[in-house]
Amino acid sequence: MDGNNECSNKTETEPKHFEKEIEDGMNRRTIKCKYCQSVILTPGSGDYFERDFQLPLMKQKKEACPETECVSSFWVVKDMFTFQNVGFSNTVGTTKYLTCADCEAGPIGYHDLNTRISYVALNRVSHTN
Amino acid sequence: MAKTYDYLFKLLLIGDSGVGKTCVLFRFSEDAFNTTFISTIGIDFKIRTIDLDGKKIKLQIWDTAGQERFRTITTAYYRGAMGIMLVYDITNEKSFENIKNWIRNIEENASADVEKMLLGNKCELEDKRQVSKERGEQLAIEYGIKFIETSAKNSIRVEDAFFTLARDIKAKMEKKL
Repeated sequence: MDGNNECSNKTETEPKHFEKEIEDGMNRRTIKCKYCQSVILTPGSGDYFERDFQLPLMKQKKEACPETECVSSFWVVKDMFTFQNVGFSNTVGTTKYLTCADCEAGPIGYHDLNTRISYVALNRVSHTN
Repeated sequence: MAKTYDYLFKLLLIGDSGVGKTCVLFRFSEDAFNTTFISTIGIDFKIRTIDLDGKKIKLQIWDTAGQERFRTITTAYYRGAMGIMLVYDITNEKSFENIKNWIRNIEENASADVEKMLLGNKCELEDKRQVSKERGEQLAIEYGIKFIETSAKNSIRVEDAFFTLARDIKAKMEKKL
């Protein structure tokens, strides 16, 4: 149950059409949970950032080895209290996974305990006006 | 970066295992998304933003992370806590009786002026009720704290409980200024 990079069964499913969501390097629209519409971030509160990260899938087939996908587009949040509503999982290694605060769907991203920076995966949330 | 809120309150949920503290953390429990991944790891805390009398308030809400199984919670967990929601399950007599023990634990470990509130939670059906609403009210009066009965299915009251606790903390802080 630990580590994001130990599983080799990664899939690449990330769409590449996020340009319209970025304004001045930040999120143009409100970021909500895909499932229950809980507000996660208000417009202009996350910095667009690209890095590769093996994020566990929301729906897992079996528990033995968490299936991950390579995610590379994130909204970076430096102060956790910038979030409107969000859940932080217990710690796995140096990582806490982010979830919806209301329905607990997740991971929608992760938090690095060394840097205290949070990363919200664009493909795990919805962007709405 | 400019601060985007007026107040930050650290709140704790305390009570026996299985009283539905996790339910209280949900707003839409019936839509709860039980992914194996997140439910296996567990949630440490949540951040919620509420508007209270024109002020933006960030609530950082901590669950006891299973420590309650040992019937005691360490001082470290209480550090910085400004509000404590004492939770029991109205269908579980024992969880209600243990509220007194929890209050003692809080008195021994938490800051003396921590704001407390009693919450009778109903994750299950009314016909399984073991603790009457009157007994909840009576206990709250005994300790001079507020009381609310909530149902995770009735999300509005859960939210009411957090608003009430936050409003009392805010009032206390503003009085100190």
